[in-house]
Amino acid sequence: MALAEPVLLKRIPTPPWGDFADRKLVPYEQYVATGGYAALDQALAMDPKAVIEVVKASELRGRGGAGFPAGMKWSFLPPEDGGRRFLAVNADESEPGTFKDRVIIEYDPHLLLEGIAICMHACRLDTAYIYIRGEYHHQRHVLEKALREAYEHKIFGPGSRLGQINGRDVHCYVHRGAGAYICGEETALLESLEGKRGWPRIKPPFPAVAGAFARPTIINNVETLATVPFILERGADWFKSMGTPRPEGAPPTVPASYGPKLFGISGHVNRPGVYEEELGVKMSTLIEQHCQGMRHGKKYKAAIPGGISMGVLGPDEYDAMLDFDVGKKHNCLGLGTAGVIVMDEDTDMVAVARNIARFFSHESCGQCTPCREGTNWMYRILKRIEAGDGTTKDLDLLLEIAGSIGAMPGTTICGLADGANWAVRTILNKFWHEFESRVTKERYVSLAVLNTR
Amino acid sequence: MAWITKNSATMQIDRREEPYLSEALKAKLEQEVIPRFPTRQAATLPVLHALQEEHGWLPYQAIEEAAEFLQLPASRVLDTATFYEEFWLKPKGRYVIWICQSLSCELLGNRQLVEAVQRKLGIGPGQTTDDGRFTLMNVECLGSCGTAPCALINEKLHENLTVENLDRVLDSLE
Ligand SMILES: Cc1cc2nc3c(=O)[nH]c(=O)nc-3n(C[C@H](O)[C@H](O)[C@H](O)COP(=O)(O)O)c2cc1C
Ligand code: SF4
Ligand code: FES
Repeated sequence: MALAEPVLLKRIPTPPWGDFADRKLVPYEQYVATGGYAALDQALAMDPKAVIEVVKASELRGRGGAGFPAGMKWSFLPPEDGGRRFLAVNADESEPGTFKDRVIIEYDPHLLLEGIAICMHACRLDTAYIYIRGEYHHQRHVLEKALREAYEHKIFGPGSRLGQINGRDVHCYVHRGAGAYICGEETALLESLEGKRGWPRIKPPFPAVAGAFARPTIINNVETLATVPFILERGADWFKSMGTPRPEGAPPTVPASYGPKLFGISGHVNRPGVYEEELGVKMSTLIEQHCQGMRHGKKYKAAIPGGISMGVLGPDEYDAMLDFDVGKKHNCLGLGTAGVIVMDEDTDMVAVARNIARFFSHESCGQCTPCREGTNWMYRILKRIEAGDGTTKDLDLLLEIAGSIGAMPGTTICGLADGANWAVRTILNKFWHEFESRVTKERYVSLAVLNTR
Repeated sequence: MAWITKNSATMQIDRREEPYLSEALKAKLEQEVIPRFPTRQAATLPVLHALQEEHGWLPYQAIEEAAEFLQLPASRVLDTATFYEEFWLKPKGRYVIWICQSLSCELLGNRQLVEAVQRKLGIGPGQTTDDGRFTLMNVECLGSCGTAPCALINEKLHENLTVENLDRVLDSLE
């Protein structure tokens, strides 16, 4: 079961259909000549609610990391009241291992703009901000140029094909971040957009009700929006012919994993890159067929399924099916961004854990004490273990810290701490022997034991 | 570290006669950026980016001028500016070398790059060469993991780096 033809990458040459070396920017004319903006015209001929229904029927799930059904999110908006309503496009892409949105923006920016326009029509949003990470300089310039083309051709702006929404001309702007991973979290993104530091907000209220500038706001990932034109054009059934259905016996409220998906693969493989596959593709297929195997003929040892927040897959999980259920089946957090990082047999897992803990302690916004302190403690303990000064007690301590931070244990505001928890805990659990052999034994007699004697 | 207040300002504030936020820049921002948002505060990041683009960094006086333009207390703007790694509250080198230190880049040898730059330029992460040409920085994932290890030098991304080709790139910069 492999993707029959490229969908999101239809204009972006990618093996096996094309060659990375042939990738170049698709300008407006070429985009239109290859069927671009037809889905927008189709959507504009439909009642906005009917567009949402199609997206809902497709069961498209968010591609930004959390996998929330997009159509459902869109239908949470309150009725229009004449006031402004916003779209915040999440192009902050900063999760280590993730470089997929960048490919869409860099080579086929009008695909994103078309998705944005359709979403604005469907959800009655008058202003869109594309929040792009500060380090994406080239991509920002590409996007700004594409946006000028889109304004010239009346996709946005006064007299746009979308007409007026909420009594206003429809606008789309590129908004540049300034180097903070946390601004990818949707409510931190909104704070940043409002000109403040990127501190995630306590939810509820959810952004659909009170988001940017306290007005109804939809936040979607670049890839999610770029998928929408294809769904309109080819229909929900076509979309659901790809991917994996919901588990047998699960109620229809449990979302399935349908559609094509971009996978960004990096690490110890021969030909890393962004590929497109059906959801549910086996990791071994990605590595062997798309990436032409492991580098230097080494053996596979571990992989991160989708950005470092998701935890690791171990040596016996080489054939893991990468869909939104990968977390349940393989004891990791989930598919995340599908940014797969592959590690070979020579990889030092203590160093991997240390690298990841450093990332989270560096990027914690500092608002919640368990996250701010916990991530830093874990980093320091892992550095100690890596230097050979750790003890067996440190391993227990790591597990305890990891398990007690995060939105899931209910101690933090956003998901960053959960990511740190899953990453450290799964590496430790799946490679326990490796950690054990690096620490010295410490006889540990707890106070509880002493008191009973 | 995003949440640690940077050593951003001292009691001694350097001032100059000429404003950092020129009338021309103000007019441009007023026309192009302010109308995008329902509040003036939302223009904080664009205004700071524009100021930094022109002056290379954000002296405290520039923050004050930005605040006046945005109709906010200077502390508000400083609070925002200190949160983001891209805003420089002290001068930086003409070229900032941001070497990615996240996982994919570490797996493929980013350490050698950092060490090579340290040897060549005699500066560690966070430091600037005496002639003001180069600043070396560690940075987290640059979104280019498929072509790791990589580094951003000012606005230009350099991919698939080796010690040799990074050396060549550095030699090609004045
Ligand atoms: C710490 C953290 C960082 C995140 N970073 C990103 C990001 O860089 N890009 C992104 O699209 N979503 C990111 N997300 C997920 C967003 O909060 C949000 O779920 C997503 O943008 C919604 O869009 P989607 O439903 O289309 O996926 C992040 C979440 C967390 C908790
Ligand atoms: S969990 Fe961490 S990153 Fe998220 S709001 Fe709390 S301190 Fe900030
Ligand atoms: S890990 Fe270095 S670019 Fe992503």
